[in-house]
Amino acid sequence: MPDATTGEEARGSHEPLAVELSGVTKRFGDVVAVDDITLEIGENRFYALLGPSGCGKTTTLRMIGGFEDPDAGSIRLHGEDVTGLKPYQRPVNTVFQSYALFPHLNVFENVAFGLRRKKVPSAEVTERVGEMLDLVQLVGMDKRKPGQLSGGQRQRVALARALINHPRVLLLDEPLGALDLKLRKEMQIELKRIQNEVGITFVHVTHDQEEAMTMADTIAVMNEGRIERLGGPTEIYEDPRSAFVAGFLGASNLMQGDRKGNAATLQDGTTIALPEAGAAGVDGDIQLGVRPEKMSLQAPEAAPPGANSILATVVDVSFIGVSTHYLLRTSWGADLVVVVQNLDDERHAAGSSVAATWLPQHTFVVS
Amino acid sequence: MTTDTATPPAATPPGAGQTAGAASSKSKRKRVPYLLLLPGGIWLIMFYVIPMIQLAGVSLQEGSFQTGYRFTWAWGNYSAAFTAFGGHFIRSILYAGTATLLALLIGYPLAYAIAFRGGRYRNLLLILVLMPFLTPFLLRTLAWKVILADSGWVVGVLQSIGIIAENGRLLATGWAGVAGITYNFLAFMTLPIYVSLEKIDPSLIEAAQDLYSNSRTAFRKVTLPLSRPGIVAGTLLTLIPASGDFVNAQLLGNPQQLMIGNVIDSRFLRIVDYPTAAALSFTLMVAILLIVIPYVRAVGTEDLVA
Repeated sequence: MPDATTGEEARGSHEPLAVELSGVTKRFGDVVAVDDITLEIGENRFYALLGPSGCGKTTTLRMIGGFEDPDAGSIRLHGEDVTGLKPYQRPVNTVFQSYALFPHLNVFENVAFGLRRKKVPSAEVTERVGEMLDLVQLVGMDKRKPGQLSGGQRQRVALARALINHPRVLLLDEPLGALDLKLRKEMQIELKRIQNEVGITFVHVTHDQEEAMTMADTIAVMNEGRIERLGGPTEIYEDPRSAFVAGFLGASNLMQGDRKGNAATLQDGTTIALPEAGAAGVDGDIQLGVRPEKMSLQAPEAAPPGANSILATVVDVSFIGVSTHYLLRTSWGADLVVVVQNLDDERHAAGSSVAATWLPQHTFVVS
Repeated sequence: MTTDTATPPAATPPGAGQTAGAASSKSKRKRVPYLLLLPGGIWLIMFYVIPMIQLAGVSLQEGSFQTGYRFTWAWGNYSAAFTAFGGHFIRSILYAGTATLLALLIGYPLAYAIAFRGGRYRNLLLILVLMPFLTPFLLRTLAWKVILADSGWVVGVLQSIGIIAENGRLLATGWAGVAGITYNFLAFMTLPIYVSLEKIDPSLIEAAQDLYSNSRTAFRKVTLPLSRPGIVAGTLLTLIPASGDFVNAQLLGNPQQLMIGNVIDSRFLRIVDYPTAAALSFTLMVAILLIVIPYVRAVGTEDLVA
């Protein structure tokens, strides 16, 4: 997956941004749900707001949709200030978390709802609903009531009901949360396909990091009402920059170190080389990390030259088919997780001493 | 509304004794629903079906209290009753209909406010709606007599602002009767509507707003259709008993413009003209059914059940 252009890079260009939040804050009583967020979402992006529950991602989405008014800051859609406008006055549509299909209307009328409100002629409504049901693969279901549909079909109706209005931006609030794992995987690919086909900016709220990485070209990781990290999936995975992002997006081995220039010394005196790109930074106490799948295990004396290497003891080995997970303990008592692909028969038994090694460019420094 | 006769429970016991062995557990399972119906069925037969048949018989009798009544297929009772009291029928339907409409106009906003704006006071507000039921029906209606009295403050205020004439009154008018019915049946209207409104997922209203509906259109296209079962239940629970009501008309209404319930009441208990009273009762039942059936068909709720 190529690195996507981030919001920061798009700033220089003159094409209008699909969504622009500046200094947006939302409080519920004493709780600050969204804390001074500034966000720029370019045209035709698949943008994910990712974070644990209560991080403010849904509130942010609801403010873009017009269901909550920000206490401070402004919201622009395609350069137009929409702060304070009602939901029905905004050129956006939402796919709700629980789909919110109208139970008293059939599939056709659910999908046609927005067009009917806009007084679109009946013949055009029939044609466009037909096209939409075709796009979401629900042909022949138009007479059914939402109660007669499966979870996946309801999801498609909700999507069709929003997309038929040709919104400039489509907001999706945990749209796959209610589906089972297999269906969720299918719908992830499906959503990505539909986004490519219709070429609309999707803003997608999720707590599922895998879902965000699969679909989105830009991810904003949120925590406690703020954006912790913004960028393409690869970029933020490889260089999470904060301990929170490193832990939330996949697994990480984090270690304390004392930094001096382009290297850091661990508690047992081991020297770890830092990547060239991360060289800019202050010396002193830092946390450095490395992803479990970037490490490999060797006998202590066989560590390749030039690689970072830590001596440790194997505590636990679990074979899970595609890979083997090792739990290691370092001499100073820290736990490390190493994931090794099952390429050969070489296994390290529990209790043996090993060297966990990785390339310097796979090291990242977090704040 | 009316439950059909409970013949099934009567039909099972004979067959039950013949089954034996492995088949008995299966037949037992078949019998359980009928056994569950039994208490209610017996109750309805004894206190509803048998009296109804009796009443039907009485409505076709001839004679007088002094000479005794004889069953003579006297269909003339019906035409005589309707000729004599047709005006009362029409007035009853009119009063009950007006009161139902008023109860809907007051009850719907009340139920809506409790369901969507009640917050943590919801239960308290519901108890307040039910509070009048803690005092007896008769007492509540008598209290209205005091409120609407000629020397009462309501009449005084309305006279001074010119809504009613200088010597005008409220008590002993048709409107007082309608007001009494509206008040007494308001909770029957409010509670079913509340239940249907309370079930509506607020995200449905957000979805309507998202799809270019302002608050008014969202109400018309989503909230109102989804609360229809409550409206149907509430109007039936108000209209049907209100049509036969006689207490409000008697205590608050105009003595010259009574309702059919008053006529039936006096025919049964004071004039002791059982056949006419019975014929009036049956005519009222038919009249209500003729109104209710097309109503339920027209605004019926079948299509809401997915």
